[in-house]
Amino acid sequence: MSRAGPARGPGWRVWIGKSLPLAVIWVPLLINAAHVVGFTVWTTWLSFTTSELLPEYDWAGLRSYRAVVRTENIEIAYINLVLYGVGFVGLATLVGFLLAVLLDQRIRGENLLRTIFLYPLAVSFVVTGTVWSWLLNPGLGIQKFVRNLGWADFRFDWITDRDMAIYTIVIAAAWHAAGFAMALFLAGLRSIDPDLAKAAQIDGAGPLRYYLRIVLPGIAPIAIAVLVILLQFAIKTFDLVRALTGGGPGIATTLPALVVYDFMFQRGQLGRGSAAAVLLLLSLLLVLLPYYAYAQWRARRERAHG
Amino acid sequence: MLSRRRDFLAGAAGMAAMAGIPAVAWPQAKPRVTFISQWSAGSDGAAITGLGKRLEEEGGIWQHSPVPGFTTEMMNKLRADIIAGNPPAASQLKGPEIAAWCKIAPTVDLDTPVAAAGYEKLIPAELVGLHKPQGHWIALPMQVYRINTIFLSRPAMARVGATKAPATWAEFNELATAMKAAGIIPVANGGIRWDDGMKLEIALAGIGAEAYRAGIMQLDPKALKGPEMTAAFAQLRKIAGWMDPTTAAQHYSVHLPKFLKGDAGMLLMGGWAQGVIKGLGGKIDDILIAAAPQDEGQPCFVLNADSMIFWKRPEADLQAGQLLLAKLMMQKDVQEKYSQTTGSIPVRTDVDLSGPAWSDGQRDAAAALIEAFKSKRVLLSLAHNMAQPNQISAAMIDVITEFIHNDKVSPEQAVARLAQAVDNARG
Repeated sequence: MSRAGPARGPGWRVWIGKSLPLAVIWVPLLINAAHVVGFTVWTTWLSFTTSELLPEYDWAGLRSYRAVVRTENIEIAYINLVLYGVGFVGLATLVGFLLAVLLDQRIRGENLLRTIFLYPLAVSFVVTGTVWSWLLNPGLGIQKFVRNLGWADFRFDWITDRDMAIYTIVIAAAWHAAGFAMALFLAGLRSIDPDLAKAAQIDGAGPLRYYLRIVLPGIAPIAIAVLVILLQFAIKTFDLVRALTGGGPGIATTLPALVVYDFMFQRGQLGRGSAAAVLLLLSLLLVLLPYYAYAQWRARRERAHG
Repeated sequence: MLSRRRDFLAGAAGMAAMAGIPAVAWPQAKPRVTFISQWSAGSDGAAITGLGKRLEEEGGIWQHSPVPGFTTEMMNKLRADIIAGNPPAASQLKGPEIAAWCKIAPTVDLDTPVAAAGYEKLIPAELVGLHKPQGHWIALPMQVYRINTIFLSRPAMARVGATKAPATWAEFNELATAMKAAGIIPVANGGIRWDDGMKLEIALAGIGAEAYRAGIMQLDPKALKGPEMTAAFAQLRKIAGWMDPTTAAQHYSVHLPKFLKGDAGMLLMGGWAQGVIKGLGGKIDDILIAAAPQDEGQPCFVLNADSMIFWKRPEADLQAGQLLLAKLMMQKDVQEKYSQTTGSIPVRTDVDLSGPAWSDGQRDAAAALIEAFKSKRVLLSLAHNMAQPNQISAAMIDVITEFIHNDKVSPEQAVARLAQAVDNARG
């Protein structure tokens, strides 16, 4: 079978050959854009209306925003987001990096261990939350286990303590995501030229110095990527809290995404829910814009150097 | 062409009729009901399935599409159906949400069948108001639960030498103190919002029924900040101190085994707990069911009811189905069967509960309902979204659940916060 060259074929074939790639790229892109941009605009619009159970389009100005900002829920939610965001991103990054460094020592069974550490990521947040809610429950989980071992005064009841409960979410979320951070860091460590390690050894650098001066700068871009991915994980956290603490004790562990859902679907206040959602989007931009600026700066610097 | 086909069909039908063949129900279709609810399993599922069977026995077609899980998921489906212009003939909906939702889609006027059944005189005025929000009956209640109910573990009572249920909050506090001293968790509970919300409504209803009506149901600013409200929060602080400290975000039923063993003494819960206890294999004889403490000396009834709203449909078969369903739901025998399945009590106040199919707990609740109906001391539940629309109940429960879990908040502060939350939710 002889292949017809584009020049010799009939016109419609040329046309398909030219337009097919465009269609494959542009049609999904436009649909996606319509979904993302369209619904974002719609939600933003709703946040300025009097919508309650159903969307309505009577202008209400900033009324919903004022009402949302005045609730105690949103205040607790954003304080929690800061505590949880810093705690979770810090802990997951730290544990992930340590695991990666340990795995990088050319140990036996690396594949198995890597799979085990990465496994939590394959578990849904709801399952993670439910399992940890049992583990952390003082009457059923870790506290009871240790007490049964003989340490009768052992206390680990953070989940029922409104001041500490947010850290139980940090623990569960870090357990969930540390393996993911480990996988990225491991890839970064592997990309460092082994000759550098040898050179450092010859120059008499100890392991600490080697990691601080050579490895960390080498994997800085990966570390930034890990931080940004984990941070946007943190901001949109919803199902983990829902399954782990239900936002409680009281409303002590509520997060912005829970507040949005609560207003929209449980209280039937679409306007206020949309306002909370727009606030959430703005806080996401707070993270993504600096990253974008950093990426731009890096790209420009690389172009200038290379 | 068209008319010829119609002739042909008519001829065929005529032939079928002549031949004595039982033709398909044509042209008159059977009454049909499309229904959505969250009741898919357990005793609720069994009860609604029983109602559907009854409808089929009366010649109807029952098409139930359950949306299991939280009530909100069912309501999201309902919202989507309404937006699409395709609401079910009837759906689960309760309390003030009936008034809120009937503004977004047309509903069926049930005045005629309700009047024919003489129903309005038989049920508490508070319920009547919820089901005819704009002066017409558009929804019907199916069953009633008493919220202010106390369940006592008889083994735990025996350990402290108690023989009867506490009648007042002072007696309750005394019994709880004795139980605590004997190493028993005085109050069995769960860690979910509505569980916390219920504790306040039971306390307040037991301190002043009229203060409850004015403060919680009518949101009268004076009653919201009144002395009874402060006293209720003070009682709630005591209850919170006696609660099981290990219930974190878990349903109260998870911790019921402790109660059944006598490691926990008292459960403040709606009448449905009886069915849950039975389901867990608990012996009803080990448990004393009574009205929650009441300082005013005469019973009041904090009411929770499940209802159905009827959505307007153009199809003749659905309209016939709606009328048939409404007629059945108001019947004594249907309500009896329903309540016996779920452990609730019938909506009608003229049902005899002396038969063996009813438990002592149900009889006690029904007697209290009848008495409160006569003395006009029926109240609507806050935590179960009967007293206020969702946004206001949710805002109030935020304050209550925070109060329970944060003992640095004083009752006076809680009262101020509650009034503030109501203002904000309404604003």
